[in-house]
Amino acid sequence: MSKNEPRIGVYVCHCGLNIGAVVDVAAVATYAQTLPGVVVSRESTYTCSDNGQRSIQEDIETHNLNRVVVASCSPRMHGDTFMKTCETAGLNPYLFEMVNIREQCSWVHTDKEQATEKAKDLVRMAVAKVQLLEPLEKQKSAVNKAALVVGGGVAGIFSALYLANAGIKTYVVEKKPSIGGHMAQLDKTFPTLDCSLCILSPRMADVGKHENIELITYADIQDVSGYAGNFHVTVKSNPRYVIKENCRLCGVCAEKCPVSLPDEFNVGLKKRKAVYIPFPQAVPNYYLIDADHCLHLTKGGCMLCQKNCPNDAIDFDQTESVRELNVGAIIVATGFELYDATQKKEYGYGRYPNVITNMDFERWVSADGPTHGKVVRPSDGNPPQKIGFIQCVGSRDEQEGAGYCSRICCMATVKQATMLREKYPEAEIYVYYTDMRTPGKGFEEFYQRGREQGIVFIRGKPGEIEEDNNQNLIIVSEDTDSGLILRNTLDLVVLACGLRPPEALEELTQMLHLSRSPDGFIMEAHPKLRPAETSIPGVFLTGCVQFPKDIPDTVAQSGGAAAMAAALLTKDEIELEPVRATVDEELCIGCGLCEDNCDYGAIEVKRTEEGMKAQVIEVACQGCGVCAASCPQKAVTIRHFTDGQLLAQVTAALEPEVIL
Amino acid sequence: MKKKEIINMDELDPQFKYEIASQPGGEHILKCVQCATCSSGCPVASVSDKFNPRRIIRMAVLGLKDVVLKEDFVWYCAACYTCSERCPQDVRIPDLMAAIRNIAVKEGSIHPAYREQGRLIGELGRLYEVTEFENERREKLGLPKVKEKNREIAEIYGCTGVGKVVL
Amino acid sequence: MKYALFLGCTVPVRTMAYEISTRNVMKKLGISLVDLEDFGCCGFPLESIDHDTYLSVAARNLAVAEAANVPVMTMCSACNGSLLKANLAMQDKTTRDKINANLKPINRQYNGTTVVKHAARVLYETMDTIKEMATPLNLKVAAHYGCHYTKPSEIYEDFEDPEVPYSLEELISAVGASPVPYENKKQCCGGSVMGIDESVSLEMVREKLSHIKKAGADAMVLVCPFCDVMYDINQKRIENQAGEQFGIPVLFLPQLIGLALGLTPDELGLKLNRVSVRKLLKTLGDGNEQE
Repeated sequence: MSKNEPRIGVYVCHCGLNIGAVVDVAAVATYAQTLPGVVVSRESTYTCSDNGQRSIQEDIETHNLNRVVVASCSPRMHGDTFMKTCETAGLNPYLFEMVNIREQCSWVHTDKEQATEKAKDLVRMAVAKVQLLEPLEKQKSAVNKAALVVGGGVAGIFSALYLANAGIKTYVVEKKPSIGGHMAQLDKTFPTLDCSLCILSPRMADVGKHENIELITYADIQDVSGYAGNFHVTVKSNPRYVIKENCRLCGVCAEKCPVSLPDEFNVGLKKRKAVYIPFPQAVPNYYLIDADHCLHLTKGGCMLCQKNCPNDAIDFDQTESVRELNVGAIIVATGFELYDATQKKEYGYGRYPNVITNMDFERWVSADGPTHGKVVRPSDGNPPQKIGFIQCVGSRDEQEGAGYCSRICCMATVKQATMLREKYPEAEIYVYYTDMRTPGKGFEEFYQRGREQGIVFIRGKPGEIEEDNNQNLIIVSEDTDSGLILRNTLDLVVLACGLRPPEALEELTQMLHLSRSPDGFIMEAHPKLRPAETSIPGVFLTGCVQFPKDIPDTVAQSGGAAAMAAALLTKDEIELEPVRATVDEELCIGCGLCEDNCDYGAIEVKRTEEGMKAQVIEVACQGCGVCAASCPQKAVTIRHFTDGQLLAQVTAALEPEVIL
Repeated sequence: MKKKEIINMDELDPQFKYEIASQPGGEHILKCVQCATCSSGCPVASVSDKFNPRRIIRMAVLGLKDVVLKEDFVWYCAACYTCSERCPQDVRIPDLMAAIRNIAVKEGSIHPAYREQGRLIGELGRLYEVTEFENERREKLGLPKVKEKNREIAEIYGCTGVGKVVL
Repeated sequence: MKYALFLGCTVPVRTMAYEISTRNVMKKLGISLVDLEDFGCCGFPLESIDHDTYLSVAARNLAVAEAANVPVMTMCSACNGSLLKANLAMQDKTTRDKINANLKPINRQYNGTTVVKHAARVLYETMDTIKEMATPLNLKVAAHYGCHYTKPSEIYEDFEDPEVPYSLEELISAVGASPVPYENKKQCCGGSVMGIDESVSLEMVREKLSHIKKAGADAMVLVCPFCDVMYDINQKRIENQAGEQFGIPVLFLPQLIGLALGLTPDELGLKLNRVSVRKLLKTLGDGNEQE
């Protein structure tokens, strides 16, 4: 018997009743025994258990197996488990093949007989392929021990601090001129009514001055290349036209600036100048010039800020700068966008001045808001005495493109209603809701407290808001609890707008090759067990970019993302999957189709002595196979998925008699 | 005192919701989350207790088939589509009400007003009779005559079986 | 531009003023109309009886127009909605084959190519010409959109906004009149509940008329014979029942536009209006004399 002659072990798993209840596992195992090359075939209740694995290892030793097939669940679930089993027993882990008879068989079929036949077919195909597998060796690659956090809201801030405190050099790139994100715009937080900036601004300051953190604000990610342990990120910083060291925050520039613009931080409820500081606690804490609206930068002239600055801090010669960051891991923490309430026309936001959003409310109620914290009717500045809140605006609404619950709006409304109750003890407050959702520590108690304070919760979503001549708002709606149709004339209505994935996310997900779930948020690697990882090794995620969540959940997930990133960054080198493309230069005609089709920039046509030839950049290759499939010359092969191996599998599927 | 009636769920029809869902227009009934957007903006519900689209959907999902088909409330929907535009779950309530009415028709509970309209349309080809008198009046007003009867609709009734119900 | 005028059931018998004014205004605007004698009921009431019968009856009309190769102009909003909804359904081949089987015995077939437009939409699309030709009317007018002129929005694509409708107010302004806002503007006329429970529909009508009266409109303008039956033909009855006087003249949109285009009251069928328009015409006359 030749040394290379296949000696295959087949292990068919019951997975308790997951497979066993539909597939006749014993019959499949018996059948496998008859296949060419199969030396031993067994069934097992749980192949992934210690017992199950030990049995494989014993067989490798006693039967001198050189190939292993496990027919059980998805390779995504236990592929690694069994590869390690083989490796421990001295068998190259790439001489192992896994057959999914659970997700692809028992879970999707009900006819036991046919399911059993299908399981046999699948096993036969794997046996045909495994004979042709070749041992592969993993390569090693050095890890660049720095991290990049994209986004400087609460999610990015905490991820960066966790990493930096663990001694890891961390870059934070933020699009806006200051970090802080949406949390910085909130007045108070539920359910404790902590002042939002009081708890956030110390952490923002920590980010600004941490020795391990380099903060890059007012900047965009332009390009990402590389792979886990070795990413190259191109970042473009926009000029602020203000010299940080010179700016003493005296504000003379803004006083003199003739251009008045809506203040983004106050959602347009206040004005700012073209030279401004986003908000008093901004980090970094110095002024900047809005180049799109500055008179000097758009039309020339003016320069009043420069002429009046006592510290020569204005520098109109600044230009954008581009730099490349080399990092081993990336944490995506780009947060959310609020649903645009003008889309829900029946509620009149944008047409009726006294209809505001939950974020508008946060700014009205804030000490730094347009009225220094006094909530008033925008139309006439009077204090409201009858206030309504409407829940689920742009959430749980398939017509508005979001079937999901945004999770935070119920509690945010209870918080806002509670704050109103404190400010206006005599006011009537109504909350129109579909379902109140309070699953969090202290949440239900907070909701109950609101009820006990006289806030009236009406179950039933209004169809429409109408405005009368006094700009009061009329809501006619059903109270489903009493079955009554109620007509309510209100001074002010607050729309509890839901959370959406940010518009700009598309570009970033394309650069990072991330997938998105149907709701538009970034898909995590596993919905339960890998919530802070993406499908791309080395790229992690946290906060509302994964799905809407509140502050404590965001901070917890940031800890998880940082821990996952640290686990990667504390290694000196990582192993790279050997399942990659290779080019047969003799067959390659240098047409470049592979290069055009590769999503990862992992294959390039280069001039060689033999002419133009494709070359694989091994470390970048993800083994997806697009190049191999598109090559007209069959010059590209994916190791472990060669044409020969796949065709053997296909042939076995179509013609069982060829094998038998 | 009138004794309060307790509904015995064993006497309800749990299949009713599926029957509606398989009828054109009724496909989305099971998406309803009872949010009350429909009943809140409904022009009929705002003037009459007889009609509440949310409650009808609830009763249908619970399987109160007899009540839903035999009482006349499903016929109160004005098909104004106000709710349809706003329903967060895209339940398409006017189409759903039509679907329930279609089932009621099949089960012999057509509303007399609709039977009469169906009869007129079948017999005349239109809802209002046009006789020589109307055509003379039209002519006096400078309007062209219209065809007095259109028999094609009765033929369609023959194909679909509606003739047996309304004619 | 040429259209086949789809009269439906109500217009040719109960609201001839709408037909007269539509024909004359379209003529004045250079839009020609043809009559196809095989048009019949649009199918609207049948949707409640049997879905396939409704689709077949609606599609029959679409087939008539398709064979004549002319787009359809409707006056009744229910007809418009009914035909457009069927038209959308008939774009699906399976549905089309099934419904065409019902049309086969009457030797008709519909291939899904007919265009259907409401007369008011045609007028809206002709607004620039109307503006040029109009003598401004010094009137305060309340627009009543009704339901099927704007809803369901899926059959109207980009025309109109069901929550914030605009076309009638723009047309009112185009003829120099002032659109009057009033409470619950989008409220349904209740016409389709009339046969089920009169008291409910009449209450819906009463509400609307009192909102319009409160807003101080000289007239209301509408685009559907169903609505007209409710507000014009039934107005006296509601006044008697409710013990409340409204006296709100109800104009079809082409009647209003026709007045601005200089058509005579006869050419607009104004003498057929139940609620007297005499005072309204006098106001207009006085206003014009003052100019």
